[in-house]
Amino acid sequence: MLTFKLALKNLLGAGMRTWLNVAVLSLAYIVIIFYNGLIDGWNQQARHDSILWEYGQGQLWHQSYDPYDPFTLQEAHGTLPQSADSKALIPILITQGSIYPQGRMQSVQLKGIPPHQQLLALPTHSLDNTTHVMPALIGKRMANTTKLRKGDQVLIRWRDKNGTFDAREIVITEIFDSDVSSIDNGQVWLPLQGLQEMTGLQEQATLWVAGGGYQPTSLEHWKFQSQDALLANLDAVIQSKKASGFIIYTLLLGIALLAIFDTQVLSIFRRQKEIGTYMALGMTRLQVVGLFTLEGGANSLLATVVGSLYGVPLLLYLANTGFAMPAASDNYGLTIAERIYPVYSVGLILGTIALVVIAATLVSFLPSRKIAKMNPTLALKGKVQ
Amino acid sequence: MEKNKIISIEHLTKRFPVGKGEFTALKDINLEFRKGEFAGLVGPSGSGKTTMLNIIGSLDSPSEGKAMVLGRSIADLSHQEAAALRNRHIGFIFQEYHLLPVYTVYENVEFSLLLQGMEASKRKKAVMEALEWVDLTDKVDSKPAKLSGGESQRVAIARAMVKRPEILLADEPSANLDAKNAHNILQLMKKLNQELETTFIFSTHDEKVMQYLDRIISLEDGKVVKDEKMKVEF
Repeated sequence: MLTFKLALKNLLGAGMRTWLNVAVLSLAYIVIIFYNGLIDGWNQQARHDSILWEYGQGQLWHQSYDPYDPFTLQEAHGTLPQSADSKALIPILITQGSIYPQGRMQSVQLKGIPPHQQLLALPTHSLDNTTHVMPALIGKRMANTTKLRKGDQVLIRWRDKNGTFDAREIVITEIFDSDVSSIDNGQVWLPLQGLQEMTGLQEQATLWVAGGGYQPTSLEHWKFQSQDALLANLDAVIQSKKASGFIIYTLLLGIALLAIFDTQVLSIFRRQKEIGTYMALGMTRLQVVGLFTLEGGANSLLATVVGSLYGVPLLLYLANTGFAMPAASDNYGLTIAERIYPVYSVGLILGTIALVVIAATLVSFLPSRKIAKMNPTLALKGKVQ
Repeated sequence: MEKNKIISIEHLTKRFPVGKGEFTALKDINLEFRKGEFAGLVGPSGSGKTTMLNIIGSLDSPSEGKAMVLGRSIADLSHQEAAALRNRHIGFIFQEYHLLPVYTVYENVEFSLLLQGMEASKRKKAVMEALEWVDLTDKVDSKPAKLSGGESQRVAIARAMVKRPEILLADEPSANLDAKNAHNILQLMKKLNQELETTFIFSTHDEKVMQYLDRIISLEDGKVVKDEKMKVEF
C-alpha cells in the first residue's frame, strides 16, 4: 500500500508527462470498449433478427438442398414422413424463377410460405389475398433493385416439376423492412399453396422452419440444421470483424504502451539520484523496482479514471442513440441494421481494464528491472549505469 | 563489542574496476568510532572519504578486510539486511541534499518512518519534532524546489535525524552552502550530536566544518595519514 501511494504521488508529481500518457491510454480504453461493444451489439442484433426472420429454432432441410447452389433446388423438395412432428414446423418451398420489372429480366428465388404462419416475422398475412392475381411479398432491397412498389403487378416465369416454363402476373401486396438481407435480396415470397400448384409440387417443401416445441428426430431424406449451425456463418463474420478490430486497437494500445515504456526508460535514466536516495533511506532494490513498476502501471489506473470521466457519457450516448452504419452496408449480404446499438458487457469492461493494466504494468516492469542491478553509490552520483 | 564502540574497521581495502585494471580507493584502513563522536574524514578529492562513508553506510562493501557497524559485518549483509540497517540505524546527509522532488518537506522527513511502518500518530509527532529541531515547521507543505540551499540542507538533516539513528553520515554537507548557512547547519548538527548522542561522521575538505569536529581523520591516496582528537573523548 505504501509503495502504491508513493507511486501514485510520483506519477502525479510528474505532471504533463503523466497526463499525456494517461490521455493516450484512456483513448485506447474507449476505442477498445466501443469497438468491441459495437461488434457485440451487432452480433446480438444480427442473431436476434436472423432467428426472428429466417432461422426460427432451426431448420429441417431436404437432403439435396444446398443454399449456396441454386441447381440443387430442382431436386431439393419432398414431403415429410408421417413420423415428423409437423405441428411445430412451417414449410418453405423454394424454386428458381425470373421476374420482369419494367421489361428487364432478373433471376430470383420464388419462395412459398404459408400465409397464416406466425413463427417468422415476415408479414405473410399480406399473402392471404382473395383476388385472382397471385399476391407476392418482397423486401425493401428487392423493391429498391426492381423499382417495384406496393400494388405493382409484374410478370414472373418459372419451371414446373417437369422443367416446362410457365409465366404469370403477381401483385406486390407488401414490402417488408428487415435487417436480414438473405430473405430479401433477389427473393419473391408467394403463398405456399400457390407456388406448389404453379410447380406441381403439391404438399412438398424444400425446408421446414422449426418452432419452439420442435424435437429434432432422425428423418429419412431430411437433415436438421440447428440454430447454432445456421448462425455459424454469421459468427464467423463477427469473429473476423473482431480480429480486424483487434489489429486496430492493438496498434493504438501499442502506441500508448510504447509511450509508457519510453517514459519509464527516461525516468530511470533521469532519476538515478532519486533511486540512490530511496536506497540510502532504506528501500530495498526490489522495493524500488516495485515502486517504478507501479508508477508505470498506475498510468493505466489513472487512465481508467480519466477514461471513465469522458468515456462513460460518450459510450452511454452511443449505446442509446446507436451508431449509424454506412448506407450500402446492408447490401453486403450480412445481417446488419441501419443503426447498431453497442452493448458493453461487464466482462468486456473488466476484461479491457485488466488487459490495459496488465500490459501497462508489464511494460513498466521491463525497464525497471535495471534498477535491481544498480549500484546505489553510483546512482547517488547520478552516473549512468 | 567494546562498550560504546559502534564502528570497527580492520584492514579495509576497497578496489574499483577501471577499464581493464583496478583503482584502489582505500588501502588497509584500521579505524574505530565510538558512540557520540563528531568526527570527520578529511582530505583532497579522490582520497577515499566518500568511499569510506559508503561502506560504513552499507551502500558499498569492502574488497578486503572487515567493516563492523553496530555489530554487523557489512560484507555479510544481504541487500535486505543492508536496507534495513540504513532505514533504522543510519542517516545520510548529502552535498546535493537529495530531497525527493515531488514530496513536500513534511513528506520528505516522514519517508524513512513510513518505510519503518511507524503508526501515524507517532510518525506525525516525530516529524514535527524533527522539523522543530531545524526550525522549519512553517515550511511543512513546501516542495524542495521552493526552498533555499540552507533550508534544503536543514530538511535533509531533519530527514536523517527523524528516525533517531545511531550513526549519521554527512558527505560534504556544507559544500553548496554559503558561510552563514554552513555555520548554522553545523551548529545545529553539533547540538543534535550533544543532545541525542548520535555519532556524526563527516566527509569534508571544508575548513568551516573542521572547526566543529572533535576528531579529524586525514586521508590521502586511500590511507589514513593522521587521526587527531580535537577535544576530550566522549
